[in-house]
Amino acid sequence: MTRARTRHGGLVAWAFAAPALLVYFTFLVYPALSSLWFSFTDWDGLSPGYNVVGLQNYASMVDDPVVVRAALNNLIWAVVTVVVPVVLGLVLAVLLNGKVRGKPLLRLVFYTPAVLPLVSVASIWGWLYNPEYGAINAFLRSAGLDGLAQPWLGQDSTALGATMVAAIWLRVGFPMLLYLAALQGINPDLYEAATVDGAGRWQQFWHITMPGLRPAHYVVIALSVIDSFKVFDLIYAMTYGGPGTATQVMGTWMYFNVFQYNQAGYGTAIAVVITVVAIAVSIPYVRSQTREHAA
Amino acid sequence: MTTVVLPEGAVESGEEAVNKKPRGGVGSTVLMTIAALVWISPLVLLVITAVRPLSDFVAQGPLSWPGTFTMQNFSDAWGIGNFATTYRNSTLLLILKVPLGVFVSAMLAYALAKLRIRFGAAIMYTVFLGLTIPIYITIVPVFVMARSAGLTDSLIGLIGPYLAFGIPFEVLVLQSFIRQIPDEIVEAARIDGAGAWRIFLTIVLPLSAPALVTVLILDAVATWNEFLFALILLNSDAHKTIPVGLLNFQGQFSNNSTGLAAGILIAVVPILVAYTFLQRWIVGGLTAGASKG
Repeated sequence: MTRARTRHGGLVAWAFAAPALLVYFTFLVYPALSSLWFSFTDWDGLSPGYNVVGLQNYASMVDDPVVVRAALNNLIWAVVTVVVPVVLGLVLAVLLNGKVRGKPLLRLVFYTPAVLPLVSVASIWGWLYNPEYGAINAFLRSAGLDGLAQPWLGQDSTALGATMVAAIWLRVGFPMLLYLAALQGINPDLYEAATVDGAGRWQQFWHITMPGLRPAHYVVIALSVIDSFKVFDLIYAMTYGGPGTATQVMGTWMYFNVFQYNQAGYGTAIAVVITVVAIAVSIPYVRSQTREHAA
Repeated sequence: MTTVVLPEGAVESGEEAVNKKPRGGVGSTVLMTIAALVWISPLVLLVITAVRPLSDFVAQGPLSWPGTFTMQNFSDAWGIGNFATTYRNSTLLLILKVPLGVFVSAMLAYALAKLRIRFGAAIMYTVFLGLTIPIYITIVPVFVMARSAGLTDSLIGLIGPYLAFGIPFEVLVLQSFIRQIPDEIVEAARIDGAGAWRIFLTIVLPLSAPALVTVLILDAVATWNEFLFALILLNSDAHKTIPVGLLNFQGQFSNNSTGLAAGILIAVVPILVAYTFLQRWIVGGLTAGASKG
């Protein structure tokens, strides 16, 4: 791509690129770098002035028990809401790729939650989890499991798990769709040959399906991990980080510091940390995408 | 991921292959149907709850079939939830933002795919990196910028950040699609004397129609659903979008399950209807671009 200018390139190319790049740098790159700057200050978010305090905000994070909790929650969230949807999505895709009736409808159903606004997903699950009027406790009571009925979002022990169930609900569809497309690219002759050779379905899955899905695994896992670091809406709308600080993640704790406690400098430092982690984890993916597309 | 196909191509052809044997697979069909029923049950319960009176819901419990049906919840929710306003705002934002975002993204995609722009790989890398950036890293500076431009509590103030966060995915999908347009077509038009702008408008855009439609739809869904920027930039009820409006509504109706269910449905029905009719494009686009809008 960096070949010398041709008659097509030059200023004309830049003229086409300029509007999008201008917007992208003004409203994404510049604010992100600007946050990095604010993270080295004690700005409260309101006053006209502030002092540069170096790494003090970063040092304070180590002593902030909520940051420790939020970081841990982010980690749990990343593992659970990546692994469970990816595995479930793979299972659904393999089943859908086999002899199943009503495939288009089934595919529609599993992806539906993913198109809903996250706030509405939070409302729906908040309502299902309602201790008195919620469907989940009603179901447990009607099944004679009264002892299991509990305030799912209202207690430390279950709140994070309950929010992750909602996330799993809405995130299964995406890996399912990608795996389904990838499965359709595997040569069916391979399965026939394997059957002739006497390989069972399980052996075929491990020796044909899984290797055939390797590029898909990479993309699915990379995108799911990237997505998991962005968690904000669902937690904010479902639990507001509570009860106490039980479901705080870095995104919400950053928000509360900036907009509730007037600690914009400290809040942006929290955002910088999680963003740096997110970028570091995603760089191999971004690099491979660029290589593929620019080739 | 290496190549992008026409959105409907990959998915449809596979279906045909499977449909050759419509019988059989009873076990998987039953299993999948049960799983699908579990998956859709929250939405089914939502509908059942929304069409019954609160007294009926309280007396019989959330898992029962309604004793009587009513549409009253919807009219109550519509009024109290301020949905006339939030619908208008969300629609306006969609109209202002989505076509503009797709158009400028298509221009950049064209420059990357066909115009041999210098530093193309570096631009691509920088733009794709945007896919990984969480919105919250930008909210403080964006808020400051909007405030100094006098654009807080205004839908216009949302357009810039929304455009910026939409561009990476749109460029990713569009440039790999435009790349597949044969160079001979572009070259032939150039020899006929067409300039880059004319080639873009009369050849590249029409030939990219499938990808453009996909990107338009996915971007519309993302714009309709966006929450965080709207939360920090809009304060008055008159300017709120659907997600922020729904959040307020949820707080007011926490003890009125039937009204809450009706309000949630009001907020999600347009998206559900659009998804049902346009799912072919959504599915194709996600598979092609392999990213979530």
